[in-house]
Amino acid sequence: MKKIASFLIVILLIPVLLRAEQNYLEVIAQGSKQLPLAIAPAISLGGGQDGEIAGTVGEVLKFDLTLAGPFSVISGTSGAGQSGIRPGEFDMAPWRAIGAAYLIKSGYIASGGTITVEFRLYDVARGKALAAKRYTGSRKEMRRMAHSFSDETMLAVTGEKGPFTGRIAFVSRASGNKEISVMDYDGHNVQRLTRNRSINLNPDISPDAGQIIFTSYKRGNPDLYRTPISGGSVARISSRIGMNFTGAWSPDGNKIALSMSKDGNPEIYKIGTDGKLLARLTKNDAIDISPSWSPDGSKIAFVSDRLGSPQIFIMNADGSGVHRLTRSGTYNVNPSWSPKGDRILYSRLHPGGFQIHSISPDGSDDTQLTTQGRNENPRWSPDGRFITFGSNRGGKEAIYVMRADGSSQIKVSRSGGGDSQPVWSSRR
Amino acid sequence: MIRVAVKESQLTRMLVFSLLLHVTMFVVIGRFGYFMLSHQPATQAYYVDVVNLPVANPQSGNPSPSIENAPAKQAPIRQEMSRPASDTASTVSPKAAPSVKKEQMPAETNEEFAKRLAALEKKAEGRRLGEALDDLRRRSAEAGRAGMPGAKGKEAGSDYGSYIQSRLRDAFNSTIAYQSRNPEVVIKLRINRFGKVIGYRMERSSRDKLFEAAVARAIDIAEENFPPPPAGGDFEQGFIFRPEGVGKK
Repeated sequence: MKKIASFLIVILLIPVLLRAEQNYLEVIAQGSKQLPLAIAPAISLGGGQDGEIAGTVGEVLKFDLTLAGPFSVISGTSGAGQSGIRPGEFDMAPWRAIGAAYLIKSGYIASGGTITVEFRLYDVARGKALAAKRYTGSRKEMRRMAHSFSDETMLAVTGEKGPFTGRIAFVSRASGNKEISVMDYDGHNVQRLTRNRSINLNPDISPDAGQIIFTSYKRGNPDLYRTPISGGSVARISSRIGMNFTGAWSPDGNKIALSMSKDGNPEIYKIGTDGKLLARLTKNDAIDISPSWSPDGSKIAFVSDRLGSPQIFIMNADGSGVHRLTRSGTYNVNPSWSPKGDRILYSRLHPGGFQIHSISPDGSDDTQLTTQGRNENPRWSPDGRFITFGSNRGGKEAIYVMRADGSSQIKVSRSGGGDSQPVWSSRR
Repeated sequence: MIRVAVKESQLTRMLVFSLLLHVTMFVVIGRFGYFMLSHQPATQAYYVDVVNLPVANPQSGNPSPSIENAPAKQAPIRQEMSRPASDTASTVSPKAAPSVKKEQMPAETNEEFAKRLAALEKKAEGRRLGEALDDLRRRSAEAGRAGMPGAKGKEAGSDYGSYIQSRLRDAFNSTIAYQSRNPEVVIKLRINRFGKVIGYRMERSSRDKLFEAAVARAIDIAEENFPPPPAGGDFEQGFIFRPEGVGKK
């Protein structure tokens, strides 16, 4: 009887619910507009004017937030007042008049070698402060301060921090050898991590952005090494016979998946961060390389030529449940699983060279993102909104950055050429 | 026998259940008028001015402004109708054409006179028509409410909610931004009797901060063009915000 009563209640409620839904009016609009963001020139909050600080801060904010995607950056002041950066110290009306939805005001105090930079983000329409940060440090940290506020701006507007304080590790041939270097994501502040005059390849950065693993031939055999991202001692963590390469940190930072040929042909193994062998994940006569973890650590994408030509496969993190991901193209390599888990990047060989593709983990929606030159080794930014990759489109190999949908492709390498295999660290 | 009794008992239960179900369905249908569609009279066709849609204070009734919203009623202008004064200017009323009175009219030919007569007749006819139209408007305003003929005030673009929807749509077109795949926000908007937004309650979030900020900005912008609700009190209406091409979930 209770069941009948419940059934009758449900039947009676259905029209009521339907009618309730009908009473809502739809407000529909086309497309996704970019939000006009004005960046006011940085002003001195005490002491003298310093054109270098004002110029650098403005330039970094503009570069970051133009690349970001949601904003169209308005340059210049358009006659808006310069006085003050705090609420009440300046008039919002001129910014509203030029159509700005958001406004970044910044000010600095330079005292000897130390600088203090204060940033404020405003919602212009509501006249409301959304974010405010003050940074103090040395003059050479000026760019990082501005990158950090770009991250905060992204957080305030989109609900998720930007990746602009992350760094990019890459293989550099600036010295004539293949050495590992790191730089800011926009190509500034390049630091060389290895100086062994050998071949160093396949860098990968730990999830906490503290360590880098890479393969080096410095002792003849391609072994796996680890070094702090800030530089310092280099530790060899896998030197098994044959190749120890394409290492990838697990999302929890406790394991490394890599390809080793100690048992004959390259297979994928799981080792601890100290190099201890934990498990063999693949076992066949084919070449299995380039593991890439899913963000929850439950699956691994990798390259295998078990069906004749290199293709992307996915397996469970214990090696079970192997299935093929890519079904188009004859040569697909370099998988990189997005931090959000919804896409996998890879490089496909086209008649003119490699191009970067993005595909869903279920194999659907395979999209080509690049067309110009040869493009390979794509890697995600830590927030999954951007991609860094190597390209020779300008004549020489260089590091590029683009949005996840392939738009706004821009060269960030500042060296003369020979930069490749980039990997983007999480925020510092 | 026992088997037969059991079968009868089951049959009875099924009949009772069936009866209950049918009664429920009839109640539902009767209450919510699902059968009414077939009995509804054919809807009268009417035209909607898509350029000026929707009206700010729409009501059902006749296509003229209601008394309370009509501009201050003007006394009908009682002008002396010009007569086809075939004799002379002296016959023209001094009130109607005082300046003419003092002028010495030159002698005119028959052709000139005929032209003048035709112009005066045309003017008089226009005035008569204007007065008749004014009278019709006045009477219809006194008789009923403004709006589309035969309308119930529920037609598209004809009520306050639709007007607010239209203002929100215009504002949302300029603010829309999103980063998720299918964002959709459901809100209940409350407007006070002065046309100001008291607040809105988010009934379904999109979890897309960019999209929700765009909705908030659209409400801020649209609010500037909200007239007071016609009923006088607070007004509450639910709205679903979504980008074009994103279907109902």
